[in-house]
Amino acid sequence: MDQLPNLGREKEMLSIMGLNSIDELFSNIPEEVRRKNPLPLPPPQSEEEIWRDAQHLLGSNIHLDSRPSFLSAGLSRNFVPTMVGMLATRGEFLTSYTPYQAEVSQGMLQAMWEFQTMISELVNLPISNVSMYDASTSAAEAITCAVRVHNKKAIQKDTIYVSELVPPHRMSVIKNYVQGSGINLHTLKHDENGHLDINAASIAHGSCAVYIEQPNSFGILDEGLLELKGKIGENTALIVGVDAVSLGLVSPPGDWGADIVIGEGQPFGIGPTFGGPIYGIFACTEKYIRQMPGRIVGQTYDTNEKKAFTLTLSTREQHIRRHRATSNICSNETLIALMGAMHMSLLGPEGIAVLAKRVAASTEVTKKALSSIEGVELIYPNSSNFRDFAIRIPGDSEKAVAFMDSKGVIAGLPMGLWWESHSSSILIGCDERTSESDISSLVLVVKEWIKEVAN
Amino acid sequence: MSDIFSFNGSPNAGWSQPNPILSDSEVLETIPSSMLRNSPPAWPRASEPELVRHYTWLSKRNFGIDTGFYPLGSCTMKHNPRVNERIVNLPGIDRMHPLQPEHQIQGILSIFYEMQEMLAICSGMDQVTLQPVAGAQGEFTAMRCIQEFHRERGEGHRNKVIVPDSAHGTNPASASMCGYEIIEIPSAEDGRIDLEALQSVVGDDTAAMMITNPSTLGVFEPDIARASEMVHTAGGQMYYDGANFNAIIGKTDPGLMGFDAVHYNLHKTFSQPHGGGGPGSGPIGVKKHLSKYLPSPLASRRKIAKDDSEGVGDGYWYSWITPEKTIGKVQQWHGNAGAVIRCWAFYRRYGRELERMSEHAVLNANYLRFKIMNPEKDVLEKIHAMPSDGAPTDFVMHEFTLSMIDMKNKVGVTGKDIAKRLLDYGVMAPTLYFPMIVPECLMIEPTETESKEVLDKFAKDFLNVLTEDPDLIKGAPYTTDVSRVDEVWAARNLILRHPGNNIEDN
Repeated sequence: MDQLPNLGREKEMLSIMGLNSIDELFSNIPEEVRRKNPLPLPPPQSEEEIWRDAQHLLGSNIHLDSRPSFLSAGLSRNFVPTMVGMLATRGEFLTSYTPYQAEVSQGMLQAMWEFQTMISELVNLPISNVSMYDASTSAAEAITCAVRVHNKKAIQKDTIYVSELVPPHRMSVIKNYVQGSGINLHTLKHDENGHLDINAASIAHGSCAVYIEQPNSFGILDEGLLELKGKIGENTALIVGVDAVSLGLVSPPGDWGADIVIGEGQPFGIGPTFGGPIYGIFACTEKYIRQMPGRIVGQTYDTNEKKAFTLTLSTREQHIRRHRATSNICSNETLIALMGAMHMSLLGPEGIAVLAKRVAASTEVTKKALSSIEGVELIYPNSSNFRDFAIRIPGDSEKAVAFMDSKGVIAGLPMGLWWESHSSSILIGCDERTSESDISSLVLVVKEWIKEVAN
Repeated sequence: MSDIFSFNGSPNAGWSQPNPILSDSEVLETIPSSMLRNSPPAWPRASEPELVRHYTWLSKRNFGIDTGFYPLGSCTMKHNPRVNERIVNLPGIDRMHPLQPEHQIQGILSIFYEMQEMLAICSGMDQVTLQPVAGAQGEFTAMRCIQEFHRERGEGHRNKVIVPDSAHGTNPASASMCGYEIIEIPSAEDGRIDLEALQSVVGDDTAAMMITNPSTLGVFEPDIARASEMVHTAGGQMYYDGANFNAIIGKTDPGLMGFDAVHYNLHKTFSQPHGGGGPGSGPIGVKKHLSKYLPSPLASRRKIAKDDSEGVGDGYWYSWITPEKTIGKVQQWHGNAGAVIRCWAFYRRYGRELERMSEHAVLNANYLRFKIMNPEKDVLEKIHAMPSDGAPTDFVMHEFTLSMIDMKNKVGVTGKDIAKRLLDYGVMAPTLYFPMIVPECLMIEPTETESKEVLDKFAKDFLNVLTEDPDLIKGAPYTTDVSRVDEVWAARNLILRHPGNNIEDN
C-alpha cells in the first residue's frame, strides 16, 4: 500500500471537486454488476515481507547453476555480462513506453536501430525488426508473412512445408498462428543421418514457403541445406530458424539464399528465465518489408536537419491498419532486445566467434565422452552438432533422467516428452559454460544408470 | 551524434571470456568447411568502459516514468516498484529452465498457481492461463479457445466477431488472425455502446464480441450486462479486453458483467515495466465452459502426500496439468515467467486492498479532469479555446479524453501540436488521436501513483499551453534532444540499419 502518494488525502481532493466520497466516482457502475464482497485475498505486505517470501519460494527451486546441467532444447544457460542488467534497468529505459514520441525517445530508438543493424549483420539479411515474443512466434509469423507475399504467384497456393524435426511446442505455436489463414501445412522428411532429404525437398517447389532449422532440434548442422534454395525456387520463401550463437562460426543463412531468418535471441542478453521474457529474432530481405510483423526503427532528420530516429512503416501495424494489419503484435520484447544489443556489442566480431567455438567445443567433447560409454548410442553418429545432440540409452529415458537427477546432475531432456518414438533418447545440451568436470559428472551418472538398468 | 559503430578499437580491448575447451583447429574440424562463416559480423569493437558510457548517454536521451509524469491514456504507466527487479535477479527464476522436472520448480509453480487464482478472483473467471506474453497474444489465445468451443459444438460456421469502432486496434487484428471476419459497430453519440447497432448485427453467425469496459473513452458502459445478454442469446461469446482493468478491481468484474473470457495486461495493471515497448504479459481468464481449451500447461496443486518431497512448505504439491482439449501452445514455454513474478510481487503489496489501487486511479483521473476543465478565471480569459470532453459524463473512470477541435478551428493548433508542446514542460505527451471517434483527441491517464502536486502542476502547465502563441505551439518541442522529427522522410527513405561506413574493415 506504500505505492499511493495520495493515501490519506482523498477528502482534500474530493472536496476540491465538491464531492464527499470516493464511492460517488463509481456511481456509474450499475448495481446489478457491482461486486458485493471484498476480494478474498490475503492482507497487504511490506517490501521486506515480499522479499522474504520471494527468497523462500524462489530459493526452493533448483537452478541450473547449482549443479552440472545439460538441459538446453532451445535455450542457453549463458553468462550475461554484468553491465547488461545494470544498464538496461536504468529507469529511463526500463520505465519508458513504446517510443511513439520520438523527440523524447531518441535513446531507445537509436539502441533499437543499432540492434537491427547487429542482427542484420549476424544473419546477413538487410532488414531486422525490433523483436518478436520468442523464436516460435517469429517462425509462425514468418510463415504467414511469406504466404501473404508469395501466394499470388505460387503454384501450390496457401501451402507451406515445414521440417518434420521442428520441436512439437514450436509446431503447436505455428499451427495456432496459421490455422486462421487456411494454410495447408506439409512436412519435409529427414534421412537416417538427421539431414533434410534434400532431393525430396523439391516437392516444396512452387509453394509459398519452406521452414527449416539450422541446427535442427537434434543439434545437427546440415550441409545439404546450403543447396535448399536452389531446389525450392525463387518464388518460395526459404525461412531458416537459427541458433543465434552458432552464427559466430557457421555460415549465416543470408549467405545461402534464406529469405527470412528467425531465431531465439535469449543467448544474447538474458538468462533462461524459465522461458520468458526472451525475444524472437526476425530478419528478412526487402521483398517482405511491407508484409513483415513488428516494429521497425528508421533513421530520419528533425526540423533542424539533425539526424534522428523514429518508428517507421507503422501502416502495417494494428493501431493504424486494425483488422488488415500484418500482425496483431503490439507489446514486444524491446527491453530484452536492448539487453541483447548490449551483450552483442560487448562480444564484438571476435567475441561472438569465441563464444560459438566454446559451445562447439563443449558439444564435441561431451559427445565423444558419452559415445565412448558402452551401452550409449549416438542417434545420429555421423552428424556435426552444435549445442545439442541425442543419445539412446538402455531403459526409459524419463526414468534415466530422474535417476541422474537424484544423483545431482540435470542430464538433459527425455525426448519421449517430444516424440513417443524417442522414449529411450535423451537430448543432451551443452553451452559455453560446460566444463570438463561437468562432463565427467555426466559420464559418471550415465554409467551408474546403465549399471542400475542391468541389475 | 555518435553511434555504437563508431567504436572500432582493437579486438584485444573487448570483453574477455574463457577459452574453448578444445583448440581452434580441433573446433574447426567438427564443422564441414563449406559451412564455416567467411567473415565476422560487422559489430562494434568496444570495451566495457566505452559501452557503459554509450548506453548511459542513450538512456539520458529517453523519457521514462522515472523521468517524469507519463499521462499516457490506455497504457497505465504507473510506478514500477524496484524490489520486483531485485526479485527476478534471484537464480531461482533467472537460472531456471522451463523443462525442469516439477520437483525442481515447486517455488515457481506455487507463484504461478497463486497468480492464476488471484487473477481469477479479481475478474470473476474460473480458470486463468499465464502463457500469453502480451495483451494482443491474450486476445488471440482467447479467440482461439472460443473458436474451438464453437467448432466442438458443431457451430464452426460462426465466423464473425463484433468490435466497437472505439476498440483497441489489437482486438480486430487478433480476431482476424484467427480467421474471423470483423464487424465494426459505431459507438453511440455519447461514446457508449449502441445497443441498437449491436442488435442489428448479432445473429447465428456471431462468434464473439470484443469490448473493453470502461470504454476507451474512460466511461463505464452502463448497458454492459444487456449487451452480454444480447450476444449470448444469439449464441456468441463475450470477450473482455482488460486494458482498462486498473479502473475496476474490487468494484465490479468481467464475470459480473457477463463476460466469458478476459485478458489482463500485467504490464499495465500489475506494474511489469513497459521497457520501451515490452516485455509484457497477457494472461487470460475464462469461464468454466472454455477452460478445457486453454493453452497447455496450467499450474495445479494437491495436498502434499507422504512420499512427496518437502515442496515449499505450505502443505501442497504443485504440478503442471494439460487441459482436456487444449489448443496447445501460443508461446514456446510458459509465457513471460519473469513478468509474472514481478507482478506477483506487486500484487502482494496490495493483497485484498487492490480495491484501493483502483480507487486512487479513478480519484486521480477525476481530479485531474476537474482541474483541467475548471481553470481559474484569469487563466480562462487567456485560453484560446477550452478542450471539450470526449464523452459527456459526470465522472470518468481511470482515464479521460479531451477533444482539442476548438483549438484547431480557432487558432489552427492541433492535438499533436499540444502534445509536442507538453514535452517542453518535462512531461510525456498524452495518447494522441485515440480513440479515433473523438476529433483531435488527447487521452489522459494519470494512474494511482502520482501525487496531487504532480496533477496540479500538469493541469496548470496544460492550461498554460492553451494560452501560448499558436506559432510557438506549432513549432514545439524546443527543449528536447531533437526537434520535431520527420516521420515522412523516414518512411520514404527507409534507412533501417547502419550503412557500414565505419565498420567496413571488420
